Amino acid sequence: MSERNPASAGAIPVPFMSATLDGRGVLAGLVFSAVLSALVYLGSQGLRGFDGALAGYLFSTLFALFGIVYRYVVWLQRPPTRLYWVRGWQLFWAPGKRLRNMGLFVRLTFDKLVAQTFIRRRSHQRWLAHQLIFWGCVLAILVTFPLTFGWLRFESAVSDPSVYMPVLFGARMPLFGFAARSLVGWVIFHLLDIAAVLVLAGIAIALPRHLKDEAELSTQRLDNDFIPLVLLFAVSVTGLMLTVSNMGMAGKFYYWITTTHAVTVMLWLLFLPFGKFFHIFQRIANLGVWFYKAAGAEGEQARCARCREPYLSVMQRDDLKRLLPELGFDYAEEGGGNWQDVCPSCRRKLVTLNQFQTVGKRFV
Amino acid sequence: MELQFFVDPIRCIGCKACLQGCSECATHRGRSMIHLEYMDRGTSTQTVPMVCMHCENPTCAQVCPADAIKRTEDGVVQSSLKERCIGCANCVNACPFGVPRYYPEFDQMLKCDMCYDRTSVGLKPMCATVCPSDALFFGTREEFETRRSGRPVNEFRFGAQIVRTRVFMVLDEAHDRLDVQDVALADTPDPRFEPDTYDSVDPFSHVEPPSNGGPA
Ligand code: SF4
Ligand code: SF4
Repeated sequence: MSERNPASAGAIPVPFMSATLDGRGVLAGLVFSAVLSALVYLGSQGLRGFDGALAGYLFSTLFALFGIVYRYVVWLQRPPTRLYWVRGWQLFWAPGKRLRNMGLFVRLTFDKLVAQTFIRRRSHQRWLAHQLIFWGCVLAILVTFPLTFGWLRFESAVSDPSVYMPVLFGARMPLFGFAARSLVGWVIFHLLDIAAVLVLAGIAIALPRHLKDEAELSTQRLDNDFIPLVLLFAVSVTGLMLTVSNMGMAGKFYYWITTTHAVTVMLWLLFLPFGKFFHIFQRIANLGVWFYKAAGAEGEQARCARCREPYLSVMQRDDLKRLLPELGFDYAEEGGGNWQDVCPSCRRKLVTLNQFQTVGKRFV
Repeated sequence: MELQFFVDPIRCIGCKACLQGCSECATHRGRSMIHLEYMDRGTSTQTVPMVCMHCENPTCAQVCPADAIKRTEDGVVQSSLKERCIGCANCVNACPFGVPRYYPEFDQMLKCDMCYDRTSVGLKPMCATVCPSDALFFGTREEFETRRSGRPVNEFRFGAQIVRTRVFMVLDEAHDRLDVQDVALADTPDPRFEPDTYDSVDPFSHVEPPSNGGPA
């Protein structure tokens, strides 16, 4: 990939991200990690429910949380991001609109974050791959995080040792007990295998595109697109190998495989704030944008200074006109006009119209 | 020799070959990223093709809240990163040349990326290979100079903003920059025609109408 396209493999300047550590980001990251640590301590009843073997996972999770929060906070400081963040909340919480917005929130969350229908409209195959990887990861996280944090564990019932019951935050839940050797027991003990199979199926569908598609080949980058896939693959395969070793190989290589699996999972966690994985957290902003658009569509529309046709909400146009000087752009005209008051279609025409004028030609 | 992109909309004959070629590009299959406009349908047959000019400091990337638009080291401003773009259409409405397009159906912006799958391996962009009038020309500076007159410039002024681009536009020897004025240069309608003379014929009916980013 990088051979084919050396120019795209290197660093691409990221505007408005400082190279030094951002104070607010560090602070927020530390606060979030401290809160999670406290929740782990409390939820595991003063670490009594905590499984020491999982300490490595816990530390990686705390580190990943720090990184994610840090990057999020730095990202939110970019002027356009901050603007949408502020506007999104303002519009969401606008008096008189709250109930409707709650409804819209539920619908959008389902549509954009759960069912991801916008991907399906791009391509069914892409959507299927994304859904498989998404649900595999969600399932794995739902299973492993409560276990890692010591919030959840399983005990065999005193009355019948073949019956397992969950212990949530130290509270035994006999009502949810299940026989270890039942179908339910099998499914529960293999949830992570199921997650791994889902992820691998997703990767199998996505991979050919990454390897063959001309567009992907020219635009994908090692750190952004490939490492995440490789990490997901490694976590899933080593996880499945644990089960294979356990069930089919009488525990052969078990120690070696657990270590490798642990390393891959920790690498995965530590990579969450980087590359493609970060979009998991970034995409939530998509909902805010929809509130913005809904409010824009209801409000006054801006008319193009040239053709007088409405082309954008007054809110977005004015927000952009405020934003651009903050970013170092000045599109204001001497006579008081602003290039940003012209609709995109007229901008295209005017560029050529000016080309004609400048070279002294007239069109027929 | 470095290959460069020279656009000269004055030469455009409106044949739509570029639209067709563009929609065959792998990064946006089936969709044309080129905007082809009628300058003033009531009075003229002049058409205007617009490709991304690949700004040195791209307004589109700077106004993007999701950090979804990247400029590669070779100066090509890429289309939005699919996983990042949150469909706000800031870029659509801030680009001084009116280039990016927002697609409501998949809630994402797509734009001309100079056929990156092709130009990154030394091929010409689709549009420039099919343009019969050389309104869109891709080649070396020498090739341009031996075939053409005019001075390629890559500096534009919009209001107080100077925009430098990777793509060149052809002016004459007297000018090294295009000063784009807006309303001051409102075109005076030609009294010989009604403004809607040609409205029964929609020359671009097969092209997706561009969306400025409202809710789908
Ligand atoms: S011409 Fe518009 S879309 Fe292209 S790089 Fe410049 S600002 Fe971005
Ligand atoms: S539409 Fe997408 S690429 Fe354009 S500014 Fe918004 S998030 Fe960025």
